[in-house]
Amino acid sequence: MMVKIIGITGGKGGTGKSTVATAIAHQLSKKYEVLLVDADVDCPNDHLILNLKRNEYKIVQQRIPTWNKDKCINCGLCGTVCKTNAIVNIPNKSPMFISTQCNGCGACFFKCPVKAINWTNKDIGKIYFNNQDKIHLLSGELKENEPVSEFIINSLNEIITKIVQNYDYIIIDTAAGTHCPVIAALEMCDEVFAVTEPTPLGKHDLEVILNLLVKLKIKSNIILNRSDIGDKKFIEVLSKDMKIDIISEISYSKEIVNNYANGVPIENKQINEITIKIIK
Amino acid sequence: MKKITILSGKGGVGKSSILASLAITISKEKDIICADCDVDASNLALVLGAEKQEEWENLTTNKEAVFDLTKCNSCKKCFEECYFKAIGWKDDKPYLKDFSCEGCGTCQIVCPQNAISLKEINNAKIGYSNTRYNFKVVSGQLNVGSSGSGKVVFKVRKKAEELSNNCNLMLIDSAAGIGCPVIASVSGTDHAIIITEPTPSGISDMKRAFKVVNHFKISCSIIINKWDINEINSGKIEEFANSKNISIISKIPFDKKFAKALTKMIPIIILDKNYEKIFLDIKEKLFKEIYKNEKI
Repeated sequence: MMVKIIGITGGKGGTGKSTVATAIAHQLSKKYEVLLVDADVDCPNDHLILNLKRNEYKIVQQRIPTWNKDKCINCGLCGTVCKTNAIVNIPNKSPMFISTQCNGCGACFFKCPVKAINWTNKDIGKIYFNNQDKIHLLSGELKENEPVSEFIINSLNEIITKIVQNYDYIIIDTAAGTHCPVIAALEMCDEVFAVTEPTPLGKHDLEVILNLLVKLKIKSNIILNRSDIGDKKFIEVLSKDMKIDIISEISYSKEIVNNYANGVPIENKQINEITIKIIK
Repeated sequence: MKKITILSGKGGVGKSSILASLAITISKEKDIICADCDVDASNLALVLGAEKQEEWENLTTNKEAVFDLTKCNSCKKCFEECYFKAIGWKDDKPYLKDFSCEGCGTCQIVCPQNAISLKEINNAKIGYSNTRYNFKVVSGQLNVGSSGSGKVVFKVRKKAEELSNNCNLMLIDSAAGIGCPVIASVSGTDHAIIITEPTPSGISDMKRAFKVVNHFKISCSIIINKWDINEINSGKIEEFANSKNISIISKIPFDKKFAKALTKMIPIIILDKNYEKIFLDIKEKLFKEIYKNEKI
């Protein structure tokens, strides 16, 4: 069978993305080969929810410039082209470099008139892989204080491309929000489930992410979590307006909260139904 | 003006809910302004029930490459050197892919034909709301699929500064995570409050948030939300706080009323008067932290 890549996202944080992603992966893994990808690289948690060990697989690096002070003529051009304020010009001296601000773009390298800039690398994160358990887990983690989360996602995407044929289903759990790292994580997906909650906040953030999915031309569905806490109308109206179906409603249960706090994936009727829809 | 950022790492632990009620409490004795720096999903104005934005202005914090194909000699240098793989190649000419250009200008520098320029793009809007609680909330919203959230966060903070007049306190609501927009929310502030919850994820993300705050040498305190859903995990948070010498300024019990407050767009402190005491206590402890070496 052809592999199917499913994205779990939602816009707002804490709506239950990881809870749903781990539950679906757990359910599917009973019959199929499943890879769960934790693409919330700022705050990866899927291994905690499933109690899975993570083995270090790869260190993700990013190139950064380094200055050959013998060649540098202190012209300051590198500092003027740096858009991320990583290079601070100092009169009559080689520039000062702030490594955590650098995104490796290369503008300084190419601008330098005397080829005084060379490349070196900095570590910006790690990729962990566990292929010993029933669910295989690929988990990315950004190093604290590094700004460019999407470089870690790009590295995850490269690995997924290499091992995609080993799996029936790949579940990609994204970060909250809608900016670069979320877009990078959604790019691989055949279909996306947006998990939300029945509050004005849930609705507001869901609308932003659904608009993004429309722009990306990815088939999307809504999962309404904690459907009985709040007012479902917020989401139902949006679903109608955007013609995107609410395919499942998961009601609040103390058991889910407890399981989450104890690191156990949830199993219930709604998760079963979502899984059946994915298999179809 | 003191600036305090609320962050959490993990999303949905109650940043905006807690900030809203804390802001109302503080506003009774100080002039304050709030900055919603979650520019992906700006919610603070909604939590405070301020639906109408007073004025929106479009914002340009990013540029993107534009190709003059009549000058292009198809040397492919721009395609090869773009570190963000934002340039595609079709019919022997470059084109810009969606959602990828960082506006770094490297392609412009390497092009031997001067065929590439950078054009400014509207990537966000920014505005403010007057709340019924006598303070303003400045918000930004990144356009769908645009990049540059860190820069938009700085603009929101700058706008809040411009509108702050005689305010003596700014409360900043950050996005989830610890990446670029969160770093932009935290840097250069006076104190950070990390909100967490007693789950394995909450604890792990709190520690990561702490590392970011610590990197910028910003003092911080912790609030444990829903502390009673798992007392063992709450104990672990307290152990961590002790080991790092951080004060836990409040432990808020789990209460379904928080969801009701969000649905009605009325902060919890207005919905249930019992919360007044809890937030007064948070305010007292917070002030002790931020005015440690000063007279209040």
